[in-house]
Amino acid sequence: MTFSDETLLAYLEGTLDEAQSRAIEAAVEDDAEFERRLMGLDPFAPIIQDVFEKLPAEAPKFGLSEPVAQNTNGRFLRVVAVAASVGVAAVALTFWATRPAELGWAQQAAIYQSLYVPETIASLDSSEASLDKQFAMAEAELGRSLDRETLESLPGLELKRAQVLSFKGKPLIQVVFADEQGQPFAFCVIRQGPNAPSAEVKQAVLSGLATATWARDGFGYMLLGSSPQTDLKGELDVLTRTFAG
Amino acid sequence: MSVLTQRARSVTDKHTQVAIYSMSAEMTSEQAVRGAVQAHSKRVWRFALALSGASDVADDLVQATCLRALERHHQVTSHDRLDSWLMTICRSIWLNEVRSRSVRRAQALSVTPEAELIATVSDSETNIFATEVFTQVMQLPEAQRETVMLVFVEGYSYREAAALLEVPIGTIMSRLSNARQKLKTVMQLDAADNARRSGK
Repeated sequence: MTFSDETLLAYLEGTLDEAQSRAIEAAVEDDAEFERRLMGLDPFAPIIQDVFEKLPAEAPKFGLSEPVAQNTNGRFLRVVAVAASVGVAAVALTFWATRPAELGWAQQAAIYQSLYVPETIASLDSSEASLDKQFAMAEAELGRSLDRETLESLPGLELKRAQVLSFKGKPLIQVVFADEQGQPFAFCVIRQGPNAPSAEVKQAVLSGLATATWARDGFGYMLLGSSPQTDLKGELDVLTRTFAG
Repeated sequence: MSVLTQRARSVTDKHTQVAIYSMSAEMTSEQAVRGAVQAHSKRVWRFALALSGASDVADDLVQATCLRALERHHQVTSHDRLDSWLMTICRSIWLNEVRSRSVRRAQALSVTPEAELIATVSDSETNIFATEVFTQVMQLPEAQRETVMLVFVEGYSYREAAALLEVPIGTIMSRLSNARQKLKTVMQLDAADNARRSGK
């Protein structure tokens, strides 16, 4: 039995019917050449491989003691190993030198939020039970209350989800809302540690979104609208009062 | 002789492997193992990261794998495929010695994976997509995650992965199918996002 590339792609994308899928899997078991052909068509592999191959070159670190007796090959191997470590160090240095300027948590949060569209939040499960669970988890990670009652009563905003994220090892909570037009809105809180300086409210457009940030008592706060023009004043008044320390 | 699979193309790995394996005929098993450890440690580390979900546990796992491999170099009968031998050792240490200690951490992983490891790609948008893909892979169930790592990332064939994980090849294919279904969402979101950006 032969399969067209289209059929194999449909299998890989999970849209092929059960009988044909089983036939393909049976053929793979019998035929290594066919297996290679199928693998070569897989659209997922190169994308995932690319992501994982770009993981930082700083890992791995391991210390192996050299054997006491060294013959010529051993010495040669050691030279190769040294050359290889120089190569790894050079690659690591290149990554280090060409890395993008480090972004702060607010910039990163804005970039992330800027990818939200109405469809992103339309499909979220905002049932009472889900929100209970999400807030319990978020507040436990953060080590403080998120004052859900206040968040639920923000004028013109419907609470959709609280999500635990992390920035440089610090818990970062993103609470997402939908405004009356279904546009995404967000309020983020990060635990910065007891020694973090406080900061007054500062408004700025980041990644195409109107934002306001402030910091109090070791926590950073950020409100994000859905466009550069979003008026944050109403929400900001309530939130700066509630999260004033 | 080549132990490089088609997709194993990390520049440093490749460079090292070519140098080391070109002289494999004269190697003792200890030298071969030592060379394999040098050549494949990054791949083993990636696999260890996928298993454990934490970079510090992955560091420890690689260290333990290297030491165990050296202790057992006399078991090596062929210098071919020492990479999959190292992967097998790594997985066995994970399953038998480390996993139970790391379970709590692995559960925490489901909400805060080490997505900050994605720090070396060139621009923010690529970065966000990479983080999303990384997160989705790391949130797959362990059996699917290890299979995805071996086949998609390390380039093992289905039958090689089946041998390494000691499951039938059919299981490998069904794990990959299930993983693809879950990963589809993030891939499609990316496509939709690109379409939105280009105004389509």
